Parts: sequence; C-alpha cells; structure tokens
Amino acid sequence: MSYIKSYGIALPHFRVEDSTLHPSGKKGGMKAVCFADEDIITLAFEASCNINKEGVDGIFFATSSSVFNNRYHASFLADLLNLSQGILALDFTNSARSGTDALLLANDLIGSGKYKNILVVSADVNFPKIGKERSTPFGHAACAILLSKEKGIAEITSSGSYSSSLAEEFSYKSNTIQNDPRYSRDAGFKNNITTTIKRIVSKPDSFDAIILNSLYARMAGGIFAKAGYTETQFAKDSLTSKIGNTGSTHALLLLINELENGKKSILLADYTNGTNLFEIKTFTFPENKCLQEQLSKYDLINCYQDYLLLRKAGNFGSFTYTTKEMFSSEMMHEREKDTLQYLKGLKCDMCGTIYYLKAARCKKCKCETFSTVQLSKTGNVYAFTSEHYFPSSFPPITLVIVDLDGGGRMTVQQTDTLLPEKNKMEIGVNVKLVLRKMIENDAKPNYFWKAKQNG
Amino acid sequence: MMQNQIISGKQNKMGKQTDIAIIGIGVTKFGELFHQSYDDLVRDAALQAVADAKISLDDIGAAWLSTAFPEIGVFKGRSGMDLSEPLSLYNIPVTRVSNFCASGADAIRNAINALRAGECDVAMALGVEKLRDRQPQDSIVKMMVEYGHPFLQKGFTAAGTFAVYANRMMKEFGLTREDISNVSVKNHFHGSLNDKAFYRKPCTLEEVMRSQMVADPLTVLDSCPTTDGAACVIMVRAEDVDKKKHNPVFVKGLGLSVSTGWDLPFFDPNHDFLSFEATRNAAKMAYKQAGITDPIEELDLVEVHDCFSIVELLTYEDLGLCKQGESKDLIRGKETQLGGKIPVNVSGGLLSCGHPVGATGIRMVVEVSNHLRGNAGERQVKNAKRGLTHNIGGPGAIASVIVLEKY
Repeated sequence: MSYIKSYGIALPHFRVEDSTLHPSGKKGGMKAVCFADEDIITLAFEASCNINKEGVDGIFFATSSSVFNNRYHASFLADLLNLSQGILALDFTNSARSGTDALLLANDLIGSGKYKNILVVSADVNFPKIGKERSTPFGHAACAILLSKEKGIAEITSSGSYSSSLAEEFSYKSNTIQNDPRYSRDAGFKNNITTTIKRIVSKPDSFDAIILNSLYARMAGGIFAKAGYTETQFAKDSLTSKIGNTGSTHALLLLINELENGKKSILLADYTNGTNLFEIKTFTFPENKCLQEQLSKYDLINCYQDYLLLRKAGNFGSFTYTTKEMFSSEMMHEREKDTLQYLKGLKCDMCGTIYYLKAARCKKCKCETFSTVQLSKTGNVYAFTSEHYFPSSFPPITLVIVDLDGGGRMTVQQTDTLLPEKNKMEIGVNVKLVLRKMIENDAKPNYFWKAKQNG
Repeated sequence: MMQNQIISGKQNKMGKQTDIAIIGIGVTKFGELFHQSYDDLVRDAALQAVADAKISLDDIGAAWLSTAFPEIGVFKGRSGMDLSEPLSLYNIPVTRVSNFCASGADAIRNAINALRAGECDVAMALGVEKLRDRQPQDSIVKMMVEYGHPFLQKGFTAAGTFAVYANRMMKEFGLTREDISNVSVKNHFHGSLNDKAFYRKPCTLEEVMRSQMVADPLTVLDSCPTTDGAACVIMVRAEDVDKKKHNPVFVKGLGLSVSTGWDLPFFDPNHDFLSFEATRNAAKMAYKQAGITDPIEELDLVEVHDCFSIVELLTYEDLGLCKQGESKDLIRGKETQLGGKIPVNVSGGLLSCGHPVGATGIRMVVEVSNHLRGNAGERQVKNAKRGLTHNIGGPGAIASVIVLEKY
C-alpha cells in the first residue's frame, strides 16, 4: 500500500476555555481558535510548509469549511507551496470525514502505482453560530501527511470505506436537519460499525491502539467487545478537551497523536455517515513530536468579547474609521509571486547585499548583476513601531523591520497580537515569518507574511 | 560620500549660476479653512504675492503649481490648469509639480530653472492643498489603507514610517522621548507667535507626551495636522530687480535629491534609519552653491520639515547643524529656540502651522523671506541675513534645501 513519510501540524496559537464561552461550560475544556488573520488556507500552509516537497505529484485538500467556491483549495495551496503546475490536485469537502477520505484515496492511488508521493492536507476552521458555542463542537487545526511509495514512519497496510445512508445531522439547502439521536446511533452508527469491523484484516489482539473518531465512540465498546477486542486497546481521545473537535482534521490528528505516543499497530476508524477504516503499522517513531509541542504552547483568550473580535468577519476599523475595501490585484499577486510568496531575493554579485525588491542596480555599489537567492523565514527585529490609527481588529498594528537570517530585510506586520503584554516588540527580538491574511475583511484571498516571536 | 561629491560637482558644471530674486510673497492662513475652496486659496495667496511684487498678473511669464494630493477633495491640482482657472491666468505655460512633501520647493526649483534658461522673465510658484474637504481619517490615512501595494509596507501611516527612525535613534544615540517631544513644545511656542499658524496655543512637555499615541513613540502632538493652505512666491532674475519698487530676497543655494524609493528604505539592509541621505545630499548641493561650510555659524535661521518632531532632530544632524547623534544637545540646550544660537522653525513649523503638503515648502520660503526683510513681527529673528528651508518627502526619500540671503 503506502507509507506515511512525514507530517506537519498547525494549531492556532490561541485557546478559548469552554467556561469563557459560557459560564456553565466545562472547566478545563479548551478549543483552539484562529487569530483574526488565519483561515484554512493559512493553517494548511503552515502545516505543510516544512514537509519536503521533492517528488510530490499529488496534493489533496480536505475541509468541511471551504473558503472558495468554484476554485480548488488544493491547487491554490499547491501554488503557495511552490509545487509544480499540472500535478494532481483534488478537494475533499463537505464532510467531517473528508480528511480520511483524502487519505484513503491517496493510499489507493499510490498503491496502484500511478502516483509516488501525495500530500494529504486537512484544515478546518468552523465557528458555531453566536450563542451556540456550548452545544456545537468546534476547534481549529490543520494536518498535513505525506504519503509515499518509499518507506517512512509507518505503513498503511489495509484501508477501506464503508458507506451508510443514515446521517445524524446534516444540512439541506442551509436548513439543519437532525435525526432522533437514538435512532441515528442505533440504525446508523452501530449498524455501520458492526459490519465494518468484520472487514478488519489483522487479528483483534494485534492492535495496541484503536482510534474511533465519532461522537458515538463511547457507545461502540459493546460492539468491539463482541468482535474480540478489549477496552484497554482503545486510544482515548485526549485532543478534544485540549483543542476541541477539529472536524475533518480530527481523525488525522488522533492518528498522529498515537504515532507520537509510540503505538506500533494502529486501527483508525473515522465515522461520519459511513466509516473509513485504516490499519497502520509503525516502523520508526517520529523524532520531532510537533503535535505535542504545539499542544503545549498556547495563550488563553481572556474573555468572550476577545473571542468575538477574533472571529470577526466583515469591516474592521480603528477609532471612527472603518474600511470595506483595500486595493488588491490578482495580476500583481501572480507576477510578483517569486518575491511576495516564495521569498526569492536578489544578491548583488559584487558587494553581496541581498535585496528583497528588484532593482536595475545595487544601491550600495551600483553593480548591475544579481543572483537569485532564497531568503529565510527567521530573523531579528532591526526597528519597529506600532500604528494606532491603522484599521485592525486588534489595534495597534505593530510593524517590524526584520533582518533575515542569511541576509535580506523585510518589513511586515506582527501577528497573534491579542494579548499586548505578551507581544511586546523590541529591537533585536528573534521572529519568524508566517503566512497570514493581510486583509481581515475576507473580500479577496490576500495572503502575505507576518512576523511572530520565535520560540 | 565620495559619490555625493561627484553629484554635487556635476550640478555646478555650468559655473556660477545667475542669482534669482524673490520679489513677491504671499501666504494664506493655514488651518481648517472650511469657508475657502481650493480656488479661493489660490487667489488669496497669488494676489498677495502679486501685490507684494507690485506687478500685474499679466506680467507673469510662466507658472508652477504644486499640489501633492489632488485625489483628496475634488480632483483639483491635477494639472497646471488648476492654477490658471481661478486667476484667469491664460496663454502662458503652467505646470503642475508633484514630489510629495517637497512639491512646493520643487515648484520653486523649476521656476528658477526657467528664469535661468530664459524661458520667462517673471515666474510664479504657487503651492496649495485642500485636505480638509474630507474627514482627517478619510484623507491621508485612507490612502495608506486602501490604496498602494496590497502587501509592501501595509500597516504604515506616515507617522509610522518616521517612528521607526525615532526608535532607532533612541536605541543608538540615547535620545529620549522627552527630547523628541521638546521639539513639539518649542514649535508650538513659536506657533503661538504666528498669526497664520493653525495651532496658536503653546503646550507643555507633559501635554505632548500624554496626548493620544499615533505610532510609538510619536503622539498626536508630535505629529503635524493635515490642514488647508496656500503660499506663493514671484521671482525674477537678480538683474531685473527694481530697487525702488522691490524688497528682494535672493536664492543662493538650491538642492533637491531623490535618494531612495517609496518601498526601498524598508527593504534595504544597508539603510540604518539614523539619517536621511536625501537631506544630506540636497544640503551638500545647496551649501556648495551658497559657499556655506559651517552651517550653524553661517545661517541665521532655519525652517525644517518637522512633519513629526523626530524628523526635526534628524534634520539638525543631516543639515550639519551638529554631528550625528548630537541633536539632543541642541534641543536640550534650547539652541534652536527663538533667541538661541540657531532658531529653527520660528514659524511654528509644520507642527503648529499645519501641513498643506503642496504649500508647505513655499510657506517656508515666505517665512524666511519675511525674516530677511525684517517683517516677521513678534517672532523676528534679529539681524537675519541668511536662512535655509528644508523639506523631506515620502518616507525620507526626497529632500530639498534652499538657501536664501538678503544682501
């Protein structure tokens, strides 16, 4: 079949406690929520940007919270990642199961021999309706998994998908339709899982982790017991209480979590309106436990009002001034992509000064020839200021002039600035560049680099 | 630095240039002139200057109009036509000049070049800006927010582009926020003596430092207000001055330099945010023409472009009034206050007068001319013989320096 070669995770920096969303919310329960300038594209990019893209011939994008209609998220992301044009790029949308849908197809395509390396990316940024935060599961995260023909961390030894016509909750022309919960559980979930279990290839006692991603997971104990599994084999979902239910990304995150926990033989069942089933054998344990690392680094949102500001869509303002539009041009994005997106700089052939912007001659030595160099995404702050009058959801906007490691200088906005006392900028601070939305009003896709404190 | 000398040398290749005399000056009140239109402002300034020069409008052979932001308001100032129309000044060449905050000074430079080239015998340079037909947030801030490159420098307003210099200066040279704000205190005091200034109330250091923050560390009172206003000068070649009629002031040095770009300063690893190369270069040109070698001794007053208080301090150093890093000593010693060693911005500067962008450079020339003529009233710098005006435009990219003298 195929191998999990490497993976990447992106969790937003902020968490909101259930008790912040509502006084009767569960103590200790948290949800990961995007900053005002993040969305599925920025999370997906962050999750996949450190994966080795050499030889990638396919990219799948899974989400249940699309930002585009009539445009492929996968090809948009492929372009951001500088993957070659013309590769296989497909979207899997509309369902919380779409993450494993993408994994399933990628696995089969690699198994067929037609493709060698497929990058499976899932990102979900769902917000419940205002006032429904207590009853609606949500959480924001992205996960990227590189499936490959070559041996990697783990092997998917068997996979399958088993449909069920019964959906627990779905929407029809923007109306939400909910079946009787007990009917859904018995006629839908239990029925489907019972038949699915029979398709598992390995013996029940060979698994040291069984991941069952479903709202009904707790009710499946009996069914599994009947089929010869024991309770100790079940991997507890420890992520929901830390980052919430991350929709299409959740099953993949649970899988990564168990890989990082050192489990050798994993059964992954992802149920939503049918089940996707994977049997996975681990070879080596991931060295860099990036999920655990990101789970441990966060800041809490202090109040419900800040949460509302974070998810603000539409106009954003400063004092009495609100703006609807900013100038943005698709042609400009396209022709300046090398500089704007891929951070290609120009190094003067004579004095070695590295410029971010193009010029006919070096300003310092007037040399007319340059070589293209890749700029790095980390650096130190040379100078900064905070703009209190520039419209923003969280004024002031801090602009930092960054001397990039290895040369070159960029001026970008600082991001994740919800808590001013924790985001004090100073000359000399080490920062990294992350891709974020420049314009928070969502009028156009408008992604560019911003800086945040490193480490 | 070698390069700059070569540039300055090139400028003077022609040998000694004809002296130019300013024979007529006019300036409107600066401020929120809600009752005056763009055209009213043009007429106000132009007719004052024409009356002062004791000529008729028809004597003017060519004119230059300086307006930096026609798109704010009613599209007035996009071409020289908008000077002709309010004055009925037709059938002569009129050109609009636009070079950010150095637009006014550049209009003067162009007029002088035409006089020297013999295109005309009497030239008018008029700067006018009508910014307050809109809410302040709707004018220059709006441009920075809604127009321009969608990514590069997005988030900066004019205040921020200069605030980064302040932060660097504080780090490198031990400048304090008090030093920066004391510039504003000084200029607001000067402004209280100028009946054409917008703000006519002195302020205290505490008021400056505690006013609303605009871009750290610059507060509202560290920033110049956007206002309306117009200023006009009429010039002739020195040999055409009628001594009985005119009270001339002579242009002895004239430098204009574009030394970086709109985006480049923020993406150029060699830029240190500690000085403006454009100012240094323009000053070098002007000093060479005027024969100035020790500016602080040889100048009697200086009008600098204090769009934000930090810029005045940087400009002390760039104009050579002190060494780099020592501007704080000038402000601490009150050397640049009226009565000090070298009074700077006795008009109140942009901080008090306001900044109608296209008019500011010409307003400064009018101010210095008034002092050289001995007509500056309460704020007169005693025995002023030689003065200088300075403008800086864009993010410190363009600068102009003009040296004026009274024989």
